[in-house]
Formats: sequence, structure tokens, C-alpha cells
Amino acid sequence: MTDLDGALAVAASGLAKQYGATPAVQAIDLAIPNGQFFGLLGPNGAGKTTTIHMLSSLVAPSAGAARVAGFDLRLQRLQIRRRIGVVFQGLALDLSLSAAENLRFAGRLNGLRSTEIERRSGELLALFGLEQHRHAPVSALSGGMRRALDIARGVIHRPRILFLDEPTSGLDLLNRRAIWRHIADLRKLSGMTVFLTTHYLEEAADCDAVAFLNAGRIVQRGKPAELVDALGRCLIEVETDQPGEVARRLQPRLGAALIEPAQVSFACAQEPADLASLERELGGAARALRWRRPNLNDVFLRINQPHDRRCAA
Amino acid sequence: MSSVAQAVAAVAMRDVRKLFRQRGRLLAAMIRPLLWLVVIGGGFAAAEPAARGANYQDFLVPGVLGMTVLFGAALAALATVYDKESGVMRMLVIAPIPHAWIVAAKAAGAVVVALIQATLLLLVLAPFGYFGAAVSWPWLAVGLAATALVCACLGILVAACTQTLDNYAGMMNFFLFPVFFLSGSLYPVERLPAALKLAAAANPYTHGVDLLRHATHTGPAFSRATDLAVILVFSAAAIAVAGARFAAADVFESRVRRLAS
Repeated sequence: MTDLDGALAVAASGLAKQYGATPAVQAIDLAIPNGQFFGLLGPNGAGKTTTIHMLSSLVAPSAGAARVAGFDLRLQRLQIRRRIGVVFQGLALDLSLSAAENLRFAGRLNGLRSTEIERRSGELLALFGLEQHRHAPVSALSGGMRRALDIARGVIHRPRILFLDEPTSGLDLLNRRAIWRHIADLRKLSGMTVFLTTHYLEEAADCDAVAFLNAGRIVQRGKPAELVDALGRCLIEVETDQPGEVARRLQPRLGAALIEPAQVSFACAQEPADLASLERELGGAARALRWRRPNLNDVFLRINQPHDRRCAA
Repeated sequence: MSSVAQAVAAVAMRDVRKLFRQRGRLLAAMIRPLLWLVVIGGGFAAAEPAARGANYQDFLVPGVLGMTVLFGAALAALATVYDKESGVMRMLVIAPIPHAWIVAAKAAGAVVVALIQATLLLLVLAPFGYFGAAVSWPWLAVGLAATALVCACLGILVAACTQTLDNYAGMMNFFLFPVFFLSGSLYPVERLPAALKLAAAANPYTHGVDLLRHATHTGPAFSRATDLAVILVFSAAAIAVAGARFAAADVFESRVRRLAS
């Protein structure tokens, strides 16, 4: 972990968290430059939230070291909290207060002056499309509006780093798109570092870099486009009731198969020249056969697929 | 104002704002002591015409004032448990203030909330002549403030040791009612059986009510110095214990551990 010139927003080395005998996070290393949009991805229970709670100084690491916004995670917790914003999985809002009152409360907790709070609240409510609802109690706002307000709450003090822990979880598509528009606008205006965890991997496609976490360990990292490109130019999917048999027959030609309960897929370097011949070869074993471009979901599936479901060529 | 003081004031003001929005809560805080004073006080006054030379209703006045403060402060402090369960605590723990200060802030809010309720009750009772010329208003103010402090600290101590308030009735039956009944609010402490007398003397709330008895001249059982010493020592210890538990137990860490298991 080196951050001698302060160019890293987050620098972690061997960071780990153990709950009793359960390792939640195991010796992860991170080097996130200032201004980067970073995504930490992985299945439920992989350790994403624990990582965010450690980096935001809310949970003490069991081992390892980290600097966040240039400050030591173990020794300078308050300095770190002054410079970060956290949007938790659950809302951090008082439902009985209005939108403006929540922002005022958050601003005062962060030591802002009244005039600064009013100015900043006005800017954020406008940016997030909540101006008309500034005096409405949060309990009367829709889920999407509440989440937008929660993000505004997280950035009222102009943090250098914003941690977003599954910020669009539970929202419908329109609200998710709106939230991402807001976050993109925020990044454009402030240049802040954003540290994201999400289940919706298409949302991570815009990240500058991602890391995949599995069972508390980082198992893959890189730029989203490069990780997707590394899979190949196309993905052939076969819908079938006999996934093992289809995998056995096609692996000699198409390489390693990813076997799912009713589907087998193959990542290929080139688009298939003749899908019809493959279909003929499989006979009645294939219900449907198609190809498409791979995406981050495919990277995720291959990383998190149990080994007994992955068939080597 | 330093940023920590500003944060503490913000937490306290939020609790006060919520009090004035919950008019039912304010009304209940007035009705409960009035019921005790008028109905139960009237009934017992008929059965026991004089307690220590005073009319039982006069004897009960500091008790119902204390009751208002006890329920107001302790329930406001116990709301910290609700804050833990709701999003508010997330807002508090991520703020750049030491977590132990959140405890002090919640206690300060509970004190202010209780004093507002007690002041409103005073305004209701005073026109009916419940406070004679002998009442020492400065000592009454000191007594109310000290009682509010000790009740807020009792509440915050329980809140620091409690993860959920699912069993609200249990909280009332095993915490608030014993604290209230084992005090000098309803009957003179020195007339209690020895074991109960000892329990009442060990109850810090008893000393808050006793200070109110000093101010209203309704037969205090302890000296003012004893009352103030017990209240200050208990409050300091409660804040220290609750603050340490809060800072170390990390509302977050316990939750993360629960999820991980």
C-alpha cells in the first residue's frame, strides 16, 4: 500500500474482517486513484458491504491497513468521515422529517454553517429533481425520490469519496436510470471518487475499473470492457434439458462450457459461421440455440460459477 | 460553535421538533399526571387524610412532576433504540463526531424534551393552586433539571444495552414502572419495608423526586447534597458506560455480525 503523493483516494493492503470463525473479507488490496469510478462486484455475502463499512471507518478491520482520502483508517477515523459520503443499502433518512429538514440535519451533523446548508440543499434538491418536494415528509415520497434524497444527504458536505452500497437495490428501471443520471451529473460537477457495489452488473459497465469479490477475496479485477473482451467476441447459448450431454458434445469445438440448469453457454473468439450446423449436430438435445455479445454478467457468472458446473475443454 | 457541539445541538433539536409534531404524545404527557393527581390523589386523600402533615394531593404534586419528567426523558432516550433500527442512526454514525458523543447528544435531547413537558404541566397546575407561596422556584428548577438528567441517563443506559424495542410492554413493566414505583413519588420512602426502602434509596430517580420535595416542602427523605451527589455520580457513570458501549459495540458491527452469521 503506497500513496506517497496522495494520488489514491483509497489504498488498502491485506484488509480483512473476521466475525468469529467466519471470514467476511480476506486480505484484499485496493488502489483507487482520485476521481475514479470504481465498482466492487460479487454475489450476496461476498463481503462487499463489510468492505464499505471498513473503508468508511464504521467497522474495525481484523487485519491489514488502509488509507482513505489520505488518512489512516485505524488512527484518523474522524478525518476520514469528514471527507467521505456513504449511501447505505438501507435509507439513512428520518422519515418523519421533510426532505429539506433531512438535508439540514445531515448538514449540521457534518459541521456545515446554516447559509452553506441552505445553498447546498437548494443545489442538490434541484439537481435531483426534488425541489417541489422540499417540504414534503420523506414518508410521503416514492422509493426513487427517497433514494435520490439519500444520495443528496450523502454528498451535502461535498465529500471527496462517495461510497454507494447497492444504491438502486429495490428500485424499478425508470428510477434506477434516474438515480444513475443523478450520480453521473454529480461526478461531472464534483469530480469525486465513487466506490460502488451493485447487483445490477450493467450499472457497473460505466465504471473505470471493477473488482469481483467472491467469498471475501478479490478474484478478478480490471476495466469492464477489457474483462468482457477477454471472454471473446461472442457467447453461444444452448437451451436444453440435457446440459451435461450438450457440453460434452460441443466442448471439443467451442471450448469450456458454462453449465446452468437449463442452459449451456460457450464463450468464443469469433461469431459462429454456421449456427444451423451446430443445431443439426445436437439433434433433439437443443431446444434453442443463439449467440450474442458477452457482457459483465457473463464475466460475473464465470467467476462465481461453482467448479463442478464448469467444464474444461 | 464547534462542529461537535453543533452536531450535539442538531440531535437534541431534532428530538424537540419531533415532540411538538407529536401532539398526542404531548397531550398524553399532560393527561397521565393529571389522572394520578386528581383521581388517584383524590381517592387516597379520602382514605389517608394526611401524609406527614400534608394533604396527599399536595404530597403527590412532586411525584407527578417527577413522573412527567421520568416518562418524557426515559422514553425520549429509549427512542435511540428506534433510531438504531431506522435510518437515523446510519446518519449519526457516519457523521464526523465520536460515537460516544451521540449518546451525550441523545441524552441532552431527552433532558430538553422532558423539561418542556414538565414546564407545560407546571403551567397547567399552577392556576389551580397546587404550588403554594412556600415553593422555592429556583430549587424546583434545579430539581426538575436534575430529575430530567437522571431519567435521560437511565433511558440511555437501557437503550445502549438494547437492540430492539419489540417488547415495549416489557420495557414499561420491567424498567419504567419499577423505577417509578420504587421511588418516593407516591408514598414516603421511610415508611416502606426495609428491603424496598433500600431499593428506593438505590434508585437514582428517587433522589430526583426528593429534590422536588425539597423545593415544594413535602417531606424530603434525604439531604439535598446526597440527592445531587447520587444524581451526578449516576449520570456521569451512565453516560460513560453507554458511550463506551455505543462506541465499542458499533451499532453497525453488531448488525453486520448478525447478517454474516
